[in-house]
Amino acid sequence: MSPYVMLIISASLLLGTSLTLLSNHWFTAWMGLEINTLAIIPMMTYPNHSRAAESAIKYFLTQATASMIMMFAIIYNAWMTNQWTLFQISNQVASTLMTLALATKLGLAPFHFWVPEVTQGIPLSSGMILLTWQKVAPTSIMYQISPSLNMKILITLAILSTLLGGWGGLNQTHLRKILAYSSIAHMGWMVIIISINPTMALLNLLIYISATLTLFLSLNLTSTTKIKSLANLWNKSTPMTLIIMLTLLSLGGLPPLTGFMPKWLILQELVAHNNITMAMLMAFSALLNLFFYMRIIYTSALTIFPSTNNSKLQWCYPQTKKITLIPLLTVISSMLLPLSPLFITLS
Amino acid sequence: MKMMVIFLLSLLLIVGFVAFASKPSPVYGGLSLVASGGLGCAIVVSLENTFLGLVVFLVYLGGMLVVFGYTAAMATEEYPESWVGNAVAFGMLLFTLLVELIWYFVSGEVEIVTAVELFDSVGSFCVGRDYSGVSLLYGCGGWALVLLGWILFITIYIVLEVVRGRD
Repeated sequence: MSPYVMLIISASLLLGTSLTLLSNHWFTAWMGLEINTLAIIPMMTYPNHSRAAESAIKYFLTQATASMIMMFAIIYNAWMTNQWTLFQISNQVASTLMTLALATKLGLAPFHFWVPEVTQGIPLSSGMILLTWQKVAPTSIMYQISPSLNMKILITLAILSTLLGGWGGLNQTHLRKILAYSSIAHMGWMVIIISINPTMALLNLLIYISATLTLFLSLNLTSTTKIKSLANLWNKSTPMTLIIMLTLLSLGGLPPLTGFMPKWLILQELVAHNNITMAMLMAFSALLNLFFYMRIIYTSALTIFPSTNNSKLQWCYPQTKKITLIPLLTVISSMLLPLSPLFITLS
Repeated sequence: MKMMVIFLLSLLLIVGFVAFASKPSPVYGGLSLVASGGLGCAIVVSLENTFLGLVVFLVYLGGMLVVFGYTAAMATEEYPESWVGNAVAFGMLLFTLLVELIWYFVSGEVEIVTAVELFDSVGSFCVGRDYSGVSLLYGCGGWALVLLGWILFITIYIVLEVVRGRD
């Protein structure tokens, strides 16, 4: 992509999310979401082949439908309550419609079908933006209106998301699809807590974003898109096997790693509200995710697949891609658990 | 009299929506979309928001006509399928039923007169005083004008970027 085009598009991508984060009027928040949707489309279609175009069209149609429902909710709310501020959406119908629209934008379970389809067809770097940065704006809206959201709908969406995010990823061999299903499951974790303790949801999103960034950047280093290509990772870049293993275990929520923190806090919050059934369901469905993360780890880090002798020396050639952010992000996504008191105090 | 006009226009609007939801061919879909767009503007105008209705008519239908011309040019069939046949009839029935159901659940009662009154309240409270609203875009609301201009600009920019030929 030409640098000038890239500049305008990435500036608009930043502008869209910032506009949604800054606004307290429904119209400007909606405009920010629209700018976001538009600005990522050229990034998706950048490789200019039919799979990318198909993904972009699917993404555009889903997001346009969600925006339309959201606009309908906004206008209905303004009609019923005569106010346009973003903090309250007190009308029941408008609140339900808004929940559904935001769920479509975030890729929550009954509306999740676009996430794997779209992520599968686009390059790793665009997929990274799609699964991280694009979640920020809808989450911020959901965070601000969380007191007036219908809790039963949210819990249904959350349980379905974690279960389907776990089940959907089970037999996948493509890494982008697996990451998409992992995103669905994590959005479920975020939504189950958003009406009880919204800050916890933001914490979960933050840690999910840092871990996903690490994974996408590490996969992008070797341009790996399938599990079987990861079998050769050990001789391309040996430290990457360790980094991918740690990050995946952290995403799965194993104790000494960062990813344990949001899951721990969310489960504790649910139990504190006497919601033990939900807590158990969430904890069990996280095991499904852990299973397919373990499949990736098994292929990339726990086994050395047989190969010919002259292909075992790829690590000594100089690498063309930079690893600038990967070490930092690895530390963030695997070693922040001792800082959890800080996170709780700040929230 | 005004009630009757708005009632008639709303009825035609719903019919137009049902027509393009059950479209048999994109050409007629575009045609009925243009028709319902015009009817929507007519409703806004008849609620005494003349400027808003006129601007939306010109801008929206200007864009719609481009799309319509495009679909008409893209459709290669010599005799495009119109609204005849069992499938289309059942589709229309289904969409009309859907409209009724949505209306029933949203308003809680199937009573059209309420609808007209509610449209009226939209007219006088939310989108009313359209002239002053537009003038604000050139005063203290100038930032919104800049923002909207930027959105229109990146929309055309992105469309050109996506559809331009690359080697």
